[in-house]
Amino acid sequence: MHLVIGGAYQGKLEYAKEKFNIKDEDVFTCTESGDLPQGSKCLYRLELFTLSCVRRGIDPCGAFSDIGAWSGCVIICEDIFCGVVPLDPLAREWREATGRLLNKLSPEACSVTRIFCGIPQKLK
Amino acid sequence: MTVFISGGCKNGKSTYALHAAKAICGGGSLFYAATMIPHDDEDLRRIERHVREREGWGFSTIEKGFDICEIAALTGYRATILLDSVTALLSNEMFREGDFFPDAGAKVISDLKALCGGVRNIVLVSDYIYSNAETFDEMTGCYMRSLAAADREAAKLSDTVIELCSGNVILHKGKLPA
Repeated sequence: MHLVIGGAYQGKLEYAKEKFNIKDEDVFTCTESGDLPQGSKCLYRLELFTLSCVRRGIDPCGAFSDIGAWSGCVIICEDIFCGVVPLDPLAREWREATGRLLNKLSPEACSVTRIFCGIPQKLK
Repeated sequence: MTVFISGGCKNGKSTYALHAAKAICGGGSLFYAATMIPHDDEDLRRIERHVREREGWGFSTIEKGFDICEIAALTGYRATILLDSVTALLSNEMFREGDFFPDAGAKVISDLKALCGGVRNIVLVSDYIYSNAETFDEMTGCYMRSLAAADREAAKLSDTVIELCSGNVILHKGKLPA
């Protein structure tokens, strides 16, 4: 598993597609209401999956309990962690649930890359 | 040499940018391209603080809130320019005279390219505003997307890309200005 993180509009997907040779049809873009397809090569906008989970009262970590099933996957998630604590309780829960999930995925990942203004920064 | 500096608010970008511009000017003329157009007392106080910080550094100030591509004609090719900031520049261009220009990002990118090609040395300062857990209205979203596109283009055309974090330097590309 490879993790690609970074702020909004930083070029995360563009980087992942080029670096890991991912085609458009291999990219699963998460939505605010929906589950994850097992065996996906690339999960994009993981933060929307976590948002859907929080809205449904589900822990998003559950989808990754069989971590081995995601070993070949490139997971892309937006960094939503550096702003002011949101006033909306759901947004607070979303931020925390996403953070907890990334903390669970990071140790399992072969690589963790942060994208800053289109430039990769290797964190792991 | 082109240097791009970004990072969160109050992390030392402007002060570092002064050092960077001084370091790369090679004794040539230094210009400070001030992009902020003051709208209230808070803006005026911020500008005053920046003017005080620049005292004694040898910068000539060019106030240019729009159309920065015209700056090179004022300074000549051999100058070193510090442009602070891309953030204010985009805001001026996008919300010019109270209107909304959604394509302002493309103009800012084109102007930045022209300016960077027109002077020997330039230091560009921007702001990293992209790590929020918040859904923004369409205008703010457009502004963020456009600033990110300008930042990425600036990073691409820069020899050096630096992020400032609590006054500490994270080098993302190239060599530190020395």
